[in-house]
Amino acid sequence: MAEEALLRMTAPLRCDFDIPYHDIGDSREAPKLALVSGLHGNELNGIFALARLAAVLKDVTAGRHAGQRLRARVIIIPAVNVLGVNTRSRRWPFDQTDINRMFPGYDAGETTQRIAQAVLALTRRAHYRVDIHSSNLDFEEVPQVRLYDPTPDERTAATLFGLPAVVERRMNTIFTSTLGHAWRAAGGTNFVIQAGQAGSLQTAHCERLFRALVAFLYRTGLLDGVTLSDEDEDIHYFGLDQNLSMISEHAGLFVSKLEVGRWVHTGDVIGLVYDGFSGELRAELKTPVAGLLSGLRRQPLLCEGDLLARILVRHHVAEGADTYLHGQGQ
Amino acid sequence: MTPPSRRRSPCAWPVISEGRVRNEPITDALRSGAGVRGSIEIRQESVLSLALPYRERLEVRRAVFRGGPGPRVAIVSGVHGDELEGLYVCHRLAHWIEQLAATRPEALRGQVELYPALNPLGLDTLVRFVPVFDADLNRMFPGHTEGLLPQRVAAAVMQHLAGAALVIDIHASNIFLREIPQVRISQDFATGLLPVAREMNLDLIWLHGAQTVLETTIAHSLNERGVPCLVVEMGVGMRVTPAFADQLVVGILRTWRALGVLTPDVELPELSHLPFVADDTNVHYLNAATSGLFIPGVEHWMALREGDELGRIVSPFDGGVRSTVRSPVDGVLFTLREYPLVYEGSLMARIMAGPPAAGATEAAHG
Repeated sequence: MAEEALLRMTAPLRCDFDIPYHDIGDSREAPKLALVSGLHGNELNGIFALARLAAVLKDVTAGRHAGQRLRARVIIIPAVNVLGVNTRSRRWPFDQTDINRMFPGYDAGETTQRIAQAVLALTRRAHYRVDIHSSNLDFEEVPQVRLYDPTPDERTAATLFGLPAVVERRMNTIFTSTLGHAWRAAGGTNFVIQAGQAGSLQTAHCERLFRALVAFLYRTGLLDGVTLSDEDEDIHYFGLDQNLSMISEHAGLFVSKLEVGRWVHTGDVIGLVYDGFSGELRAELKTPVAGLLSGLRRQPLLCEGDLLARILVRHHVAEGADTYLHGQGQ
Repeated sequence: MTPPSRRRSPCAWPVISEGRVRNEPITDALRSGAGVRGSIEIRQESVLSLALPYRERLEVRRAVFRGGPGPRVAIVSGVHGDELEGLYVCHRLAHWIEQLAATRPEALRGQVELYPALNPLGLDTLVRFVPVFDADLNRMFPGHTEGLLPQRVAAAVMQHLAGAALVIDIHASNIFLREIPQVRISQDFATGLLPVAREMNLDLIWLHGAQTVLETTIAHSLNERGVPCLVVEMGVGMRVTPAFADQLVVGILRTWRALGVLTPDVELPELSHLPFVADDTNVHYLNAATSGLFIPGVEHWMALREGDELGRIVSPFDGGVRSTVRSPVDGVLFTLREYPLVYEGSLMARIMAGPPAAGATEAAHG
């Protein structure tokens, strides 16, 4: 058990910096599980959940939780974009590059290519790999597993988290530069988890995420002796074309009282749009389908062509879901 | 160290011919927007209008110069809100065509469309990406008419550019790096585009390997749909380099003439720049070995010998040198860092090796 750093670098004027990670369990073995969050510095739910998980697993290995045992080595990087966390920035703050568009990285390249390469080098030996994101500053998403062109093993193992939704999506060109995609080239079983909203901490989502990670460790046999809560058993699998993104044709102030994670009926009002100057009601936005409200706009300022909500449906809907990657945070 | 053999002198401003173009400032009438001059119809119009949250609208505008029924050509720029070089090129081209309209309008056989500002909100707020959406517009193509705002912009632009005989997408690097005027072409489309690129009066053609993520650029999307599109990179972000613009304008006008957009008798300056051809085998990247202030000791577009000193990385805290930057090869310096602060890994320069050499690294694109 140790606190390591996966990269140490100089800075122009600040002190040298590093990217710390937790290496928990028997360091003579190859890691079984790698958990990464904070590729984007303003996505805090994953950072908090992973830091708390590291604390608990270290207690387990220290024998402070009677009857519990960690059976494998686990790598945890709570935050890759350290400077981004400290400056509340999604991107690498110096040159505004997105670290999760730099994979597989390059150890003699740009700063963020070097960071990407180091993250990949550390995590690629693990069999299970999870990259945790929040959505962006404007949008909140119920904790969910995202699968891109998954293997049969990934489809099966995705349900072991016990999160309310497993969502399959098409591979797309932007995704090819992400950590999730770089992992695929190394085989193994890989997941992207999306939980909550960037810019703040939503403790309910953090708790759900934490329980999901513990459940995954338990169900894959990596952690013994825990008792799982049965409240997380309501899992739904949504395949391709079972996702509807509601895009606004109106602009103004968007107001909604709904919570993510609830089920909605066709015609339910998702929110209202008001004219910000006259105060007049411009539109009642109704869902055209019934389903799980997996994501909801939290930013009131609304442009024409802005994302309002994401609804996961039990049947197939005709929508090029892969064209709406932007706005999902990851 | 000597300059490369290609000329780097200021090029002459294209004058149609004696007696045909009045070499005087454009008149107020020519500045006044829409109207028909001779047989050239000049208009400005919106290609997309989207409502913003409070009162205003996002308008993507273009200027159209319609002559005869010949080929349509287009210039796009301002995809990134911090890249201004293409805006000035559009202005110079508009000025030239307005002069043409006033003197011999029949010489415009086709139609010219200028889209100077694909990201108007970014340009007007000094932001590289699409504001609010924090999206790189050049990773949003071909777009989607019912998608998010940046995707709608992309889709509208694609729709309007369909059928064009040639589109030139002008970029200005970023705020960090200064680029010699160059054309960048994906190997996927090199066969068709290389002959056109050679005539653009630029200093370099860089053929780069295919990268999946670049399939989301406007150039790739247009080329894939059969609309030839050249990417020009020149200058540096947040600045305008008039000499580069004038150099490119000569190449653009000559290319338009060759395509039949302009009549063959339109007189234009000869090419003053012939391009080197770089590719992933002869481009060398100089990334900073450490962090600090990079102070270059050479001029952009210099010929270098292996081992020549390009500059130093120093610290304001002490008087020493943290790193001395040397050329790894004999070659020509076509990218030079403009923004002095570097992090470990920051790109400081790119050098095209004289003779083709192995040891290439992967490409990064502005």
